[in-house]
Amino acid sequence: MMASATNEGPPRLSIRNVAKTFPGVRAVDDVSLEVRRGEVHALIGENGAGKSTLMHLVAGVYQPDSGVIELDGASMAGLSEQGAADAGIAMVYQERSLVGALSVADNIYAGRQPVNGIGVIRRAPMYDGARRILTDLEVDIDPRTPVSHLSPGQQQMVEIAKGLSHDLKLLILDEPTSSLTINEGRHLFRVIRRLAEQGVAIIYVSHRMAEVFEISDRVTVLKDGRVTGDRDTALATHEDLISMMVGRELSFEPDMRRAAPDAAIALEVRDLAADPVVSASFKLRYGEIVCLAGLLGAGRTEVCEVIFGARPLQSGTILVEGRELNPRSPSDSMAAGISMLPEDRKESGLFIDFTIVANVAAANLPAYTHGGLLSSSEMRGVAQHYADELRIATPNINREVRNLSGGNQQKVLLAKWLARRPRILIVDEPTRGVDVGSKADIYRILRELAASGMALLVVSSDMLEVLAIAHRIVVMSEGRVAGEMDASVATEIAILELAAPTARQESAA
Amino acid sequence: MSSDTRPDDLERLDAVGQPLEEPPSKRARGRRLLILVATERPLLLIMLIVVLIAGMAIFAPDTFPRPANAAVVLLDTAQTGILACGMMLLLISGMFDLSIGGILAFSGIMAGLAAKNFGFPPIPAFLVGCVWGVLLGAINGTLVTRFKINALIATLATLSVYRGGLQLVSGAGVTNIGNDFTVFGQTKILGIYSPFWFMAVIVLLFAFLVGRTRYFRQAYYIGGNARAAKLSGINVDRTVFSFFLIMGLLAGLSGALLASRLNTAVVLAGQGVELKVITAVVLGGASLSGGVGTIFGAFLGVLLMALLQNAMIIAHISPFWQLIVVGIVLLVSVGLDQFVRIRLRT
Repeated sequence: MMASATNEGPPRLSIRNVAKTFPGVRAVDDVSLEVRRGEVHALIGENGAGKSTLMHLVAGVYQPDSGVIELDGASMAGLSEQGAADAGIAMVYQERSLVGALSVADNIYAGRQPVNGIGVIRRAPMYDGARRILTDLEVDIDPRTPVSHLSPGQQQMVEIAKGLSHDLKLLILDEPTSSLTINEGRHLFRVIRRLAEQGVAIIYVSHRMAEVFEISDRVTVLKDGRVTGDRDTALATHEDLISMMVGRELSFEPDMRRAAPDAAIALEVRDLAADPVVSASFKLRYGEIVCLAGLLGAGRTEVCEVIFGARPLQSGTILVEGRELNPRSPSDSMAAGISMLPEDRKESGLFIDFTIVANVAAANLPAYTHGGLLSSSEMRGVAQHYADELRIATPNINREVRNLSGGNQQKVLLAKWLARRPRILIVDEPTRGVDVGSKADIYRILRELAASGMALLVVSSDMLEVLAIAHRIVVMSEGRVAGEMDASVATEIAILELAAPTARQESAA
Repeated sequence: MSSDTRPDDLERLDAVGQPLEEPPSKRARGRRLLILVATERPLLLIMLIVVLIAGMAIFAPDTFPRPANAAVVLLDTAQTGILACGMMLLLISGMFDLSIGGILAFSGIMAGLAAKNFGFPPIPAFLVGCVWGVLLGAINGTLVTRFKINALIATLATLSVYRGGLQLVSGAGVTNIGNDFTVFGQTKILGIYSPFWFMAVIVLLFAFLVGRTRYFRQAYYIGGNARAAKLSGINVDRTVFSFFLIMGLLAGLSGALLASRLNTAVVLAGQGVELKVITAVVLGGASLSGGVGTIFGAFLGVLLMALLQNAMIIAHISPFWQLIVVGIVLLVSVGLDQFVRIRLRT
């Protein structure tokens, strides 16, 4: 732990009663937060707690609906991303914002390269400036190197260097260590400490507890868009923070109807590996909902994609009803009775400009084909059937899917895959971006499907959702199955403890 | 986060989920008709065609509305119409083929050589042209689906390769192919030369295939969202490959047909035809991002362009102006669509 820096004058960053709503979601709700000069302030919370949205508000990516954000006492209202950067705020994203083909120096001075009278870049001063900043960061990179030649850790240093090329006042780091090696992580921590000593305020967004304890002076916990607590890190305990991240009411009663424990096994996965999945083994019975829980990047989606044939299997075995399945494309898995709703319904699930009918038919075209011809009346019949059964709110089934709400789009996606009458249904994030009403509908539908004997494998990052719908919970962490528990005995804390990455914790301790 | 949530769409429903019908005022009805014409491309094209025909019938009653002139216009649609069927199929799938002019000329040469130098009877010689087109289409398809080269770049390259290759094979073209071979292009049925009838049959066939059959309708899914199509069990690569074969076949057939019609296989045949076809197809409702378009629309685009050209020739408008007018018609019809859609969204 480092010494706290001096605290004169207004706080470096002051956030007061800030709120931001997206259609159907109150992402940030009446949040207040202060960060002083030289303070390393950790911001923690579950996936979807509003951490990223809050940081985007600070960095000028979004504008708050209400509330005040001040930097050194000056209002940030109406500042764009560029304006916030000029004011001295730098944000290092999880996903990088560098241009791979350009040199390190070009990236550091993106859009502000020193030029001569006719607009030609003056290379020497640019390279010198970049070299100075990089040396300051103890990074040994030639500023003429294309960024695409650098390691993830070096790229991150370039991002920070980009911030330093302005007069840096506030540095926001969003999950900075997730793609770094341990040594790169140590180096980053040294740099953070030095910047803090120089008076830079730092917001460190993470869900790695060990890092929070090691690097931060204060910690604020966000949950469902609200601040549930803040502490001096020195006075906080691990249990303390976890209970602030969790504690909330269950609004959906857990489903106590269990699948018969002797029901036939629909799907078994043994030692499945496919980068970044290291090893996953679990079983899924008919009539059962198994949830894959874990943090973002734990490899849950990838496991599902492998089973569905959308990602190559590197090693391990997939058994469907005891028969080995080695899918080389989704159609192989579909033939084995598997349907899968992908996580990103607009990118990979739906044909957003097409009608409900065309979407519901998409995965099942051969069923409506007679002598090579598609029967549009059959397609309409099936679409109408599911529109009624799943209660899709639409004036008619010839509506383009882009005009539907998120919840109804999700139901269309569900209809598309139920129309194949699968025996095994994989659902990746069943209610992401879905309103509360449709959420309840979707839970009811998933439960009914399980009750009718279907085997369901559900990936969810929403703990509440996992506890509400799962019969059994398989927790993944860093590409491995970290544990498994019956839903009747599961708690959010137990799941989080299994899900937390361990390797880093040890190295940082 | 569903940024696309549109609660206003739901508010327009009454209690039982039926759309609330406002009593349509005369103005509202007129507005709706205007929007329909602007956003339904075939309607717009039909309107333009009707206006153009009516206008020409009034301004040039002695030349334009005569059967002989109609036959000229229809014959003029033959080559572009045949090619437009394949190009529309590719554009619906989000693909593209710039090499069709090269395929057309090369296939014409091969058919001509087969007939003249190797003494093939007319039908086998004609088929040589078609098969050659399929082969060249297979090269395009392989580059795009197997080597994952962007379709625009791959076919830009093969256009150059095919044009060069055909001159290696036959630098001067094939003249005086032989009387028998002209049967495909110079037969007159109902007063119109046979290329038109080839085109008519092909357009009808493709309208049916693309409109009704599962295999061809997969094009819409592939162009609409290739990743979702793959995850829906559609074999995207194989299907796209087959569409390049079809494009090659149609270009090869056009080449053989042209050689038959002229009794000569010209080295420069089909120069610039790719842009003409793409213009017609985009005019007909295709989008470069894929997922939309119909064969009927493509044909209307071809017909409108042929009529425009004919009208301007009759009106003695300079060929330079003809090019300018075609460009403006394309910009206006696509721009109108975009403009109305953006206004509708906000």
